[in-house]
Amino acid sequence: MRTSQPTRRQVLRAGAASAAMLAAPAVLHAQTSTLKITTWGGKWGEIMKGKVLPAFEKEFKCAVEADQAFPYLPKLQASPRTDPIYDVLHSNSNELWQAVELGMVERKITTKEVPNIADVYPYAVSDKIVGVSIFTSAIGLGLRTDKGLAPPTSWNDLAAQALAGQRGGYLVPVNALGQAHLMMLGKIHGTGFEDLDAAYKALAALKPIKLFDFTGQMEKALLSGEVIMGVIHDSGIFRYDGQNQPIEFAAPKEGVLALEQVLNVTPGSKVKELAFAYIDYMLRPSVQKELAEGVWYSPSNKTVKLDAKYDAKLFNTEAKVAQLLQVPWQWYNARKDEIDARVQRILKG
Amino acid sequence: MRRKVGFGAVAYWGLNAAILFFLLSPIAIVSVFAVNPTPYIAFPPVGFTFAWFAKFFANPDFVHALWLSLKVAVAVLVLSMLIGATAAMALARGELPGRRALTAFFMSPLMLPAILTGLALFQIYLLAGIGRPVWGLVMGHTVIAVPYVIRTTLAVLANFDRRLEEAAALLGAGPVRVFFEVTLPLIRPGVIAGGIFAFIVSFDQFPVSLFLVVPKGETLPVVLFNYMKFDLDGAIAAASMVSIALALGVVILLEWIIGLRAYLKF
Repeated sequence: MRTSQPTRRQVLRAGAASAAMLAAPAVLHAQTSTLKITTWGGKWGEIMKGKVLPAFEKEFKCAVEADQAFPYLPKLQASPRTDPIYDVLHSNSNELWQAVELGMVERKITTKEVPNIADVYPYAVSDKIVGVSIFTSAIGLGLRTDKGLAPPTSWNDLAAQALAGQRGGYLVPVNALGQAHLMMLGKIHGTGFEDLDAAYKALAALKPIKLFDFTGQMEKALLSGEVIMGVIHDSGIFRYDGQNQPIEFAAPKEGVLALEQVLNVTPGSKVKELAFAYIDYMLRPSVQKELAEGVWYSPSNKTVKLDAKYDAKLFNTEAKVAQLLQVPWQWYNARKDEIDARVQRILKG
Repeated sequence: MRRKVGFGAVAYWGLNAAILFFLLSPIAIVSVFAVNPTPYIAFPPVGFTFAWFAKFFANPDFVHALWLSLKVAVAVLVLSMLIGATAAMALARGELPGRRALTAFFMSPLMLPAILTGLALFQIYLLAGIGRPVWGLVMGHTVIAVPYVIRTTLAVLANFDRRLEEAAALLGAGPVRVFFEVTLPLIRPGVIAGGIFAFIVSFDQFPVSLFLVVPKGETLPVVLFNYMKFDLDGAIAAASMVSIALALGVVILLEWIIGLRAYLKF
């Protein structure tokens, strides 16, 4: 019986096939990497889930697991550092500062990891930011236009006697806008954001004031007329554009406070490259435009061209961006418990 | 002869009316909000609409969360009735050493803040490398729900006339037959009442679920909480009404299938 000897070519082909089979799990793994992120709900969540994330998954051949269920930080804190529950943390700046203090996110992101950072406004990567701010809203004053009020020009206008019981603010211990507003009071009435005594005094002068947990509640209070002037971010007012609602946003002359949407990567992420690619993707002009016009957030990327009505209102030029004030969250977080206790006493009743 | 209405009777009915008003007024407010066309709470209502219900049912996140909550609550109901009833039997009849300590141990999930239970389970699951599966969520809810079944079953067992079991045994019934034909029918009202509590506790559970749900696998209370942070409109009220109707429906269904009336007679 004759047995045929395998040729050199057959051996090589078989070897290549075996290698491919052995490597298959790794290739499969690379193709089905899962990126775990946090993201907001509401209209933002709709756009993310409907368009932005599916396009990212398709382009990067991965799956994205987007957590919209708060609280993000305790969950991240409770998960192992070497295998964190999130690869990318999206939150506001105050929370990112807490995260970095706990060693749960990177301190800085550079153009080396995220090339599109080269095109962002300086505020997006300033020393007040941990990671990169992909969007910002401007915290100012919202008002009813049907109550005979003159549009406010200063933060001090919120303290007007005529607004007693009809002005709105936030529960400072739980809301970043309330915390930023408190620091703003210190800046206006004292020596700076860190002048707490001046801030407490100015806060007490706002009583009686209606306090809310979330900005969504403030929006509804303005819509219903329960509050006729209140602290709110511009997107919370602009989102009702075209709905014939009697509300308006005013930017006080002392400046508006930046409410940054910050992204950062967790040090223990198993898919760090993908995580940085996601941040880079979120800074792409096309993605920035889609989200900015969907939720009225000001894009961080300088090269984004917005449609006229968004261009007129959002903070998307060097001159407009210069009005944004960034508060010292690291300083605030270090004193948060003490501030919470004092504010509770001031606003009691 | 005309019956004189005394001060005591007036105070009694007045107090009852006040309690009822206190308990039902939130539901009344929510139901008004659910059919009012304005996207905020306004009273008096300015019209009538089912648009918020349409929005609720058109949102796949809401509908998916509703079904998940329902499935989890049914699983918790069954598990907690099984575990709770057997644990109660052992505690009442088993003459176990440290019975009091064991009872306190079984009741302890009710004494701990549920958010801590959720956080602890979340950490255990992650450390064990099992992630956050739906069965993990069911187990978390069951831990919270079992004490209700134990408590209601123990209450029935405390007044249980054991001579009925002895009579059955004397007439020749084996232990298994005694359990299924005498003991179980008599403790059934307590087990069912506990089971209903378990269902409601699971269906409305928020603090434990907060840590144990996964993206695209959130229960209704978690979805509602997150929705409320960004869109506080009538869809929330519509969701609450659907939730109340569903919970009520399950209680009525249980009454129809198993006979809750027996408990009411008890």
